[in-house]
Amino acid sequence: MEGFWGDDKMNMQWVKVVIAAMFEIGWVIGLKHAASWWEWSLTFVCIYISFHLLVMAGKFLPVGTVYAVFAGLGTVGTVLFDTFLFGEQLGPIKMVLIGVLLIGIIGLKLAEDKPREERI
Amino acid sequence: MAWVYLIVAGLFEMTGVTMISKLHHDKTIRAFFFLVISFWLSFAFLALAMNTLPMGITYAVWTGIGTAGGAILGMIWYDEPKDWFRLSCIGLIIISAAGLKLFS
Repeated sequence: MEGFWGDDKMNMQWVKVVIAAMFEIGWVIGLKHAASWWEWSLTFVCIYISFHLLVMAGKFLPVGTVYAVFAGLGTVGTVLFDTFLFGEQLGPIKMVLIGVLLIGIIGLKLAEDKPREERI
Repeated sequence: MAWVYLIVAGLFEMTGVTMISKLHHDKTIRAFFFLVISFWLSFAFLALAMNTLPMGITYAVWTGIGTAGGAILGMIWYDEPKDWFRLSCIGLIIISAAGLKLFS
């Protein structure tokens, strides 16, 4: 289906990247804070799920794009978690950087929605 | 030496990202094996680098090499789009993600 938001099947690939990034936040926090065996197990489950989704999305979207969005969203998420969960400061520089990063991600989504020749 | 570990970690990340394309392209167990090994080695060298270098800068350099390298190799080997708009967006993400990691 082709609509204002782009193709449904392609949108699903973006959903996969976003969920992969959420699990990335999980394992980044895990690598930093895990202490017991079940926290480590959870961390490894998060690593598995995030990379699985990443590879699946890379089947339909350019991998360079997928990885940039994945790494970018994971970074924003980790910074926000550090701020709200672990009481780190979120200064003006970080807020501007988060804004710039989101602009880059929205731009990539728009770029991929543009029709172009069939990829391999 | 820590900087050498860090660059090696970045290069393995770059390889790992490229292996995702290779896996879909070739559909072989070998590509999958290389994918897992690349990311595994990447994390191992990242951990080695973090023993001496500060976490923020280590992470920033690592993401930068992996993301930029992955995008460049994707364009060279797997014919991913090369338009300036896409490249600027990837550039914006790398710069701001590296900045966020530096300042945390």
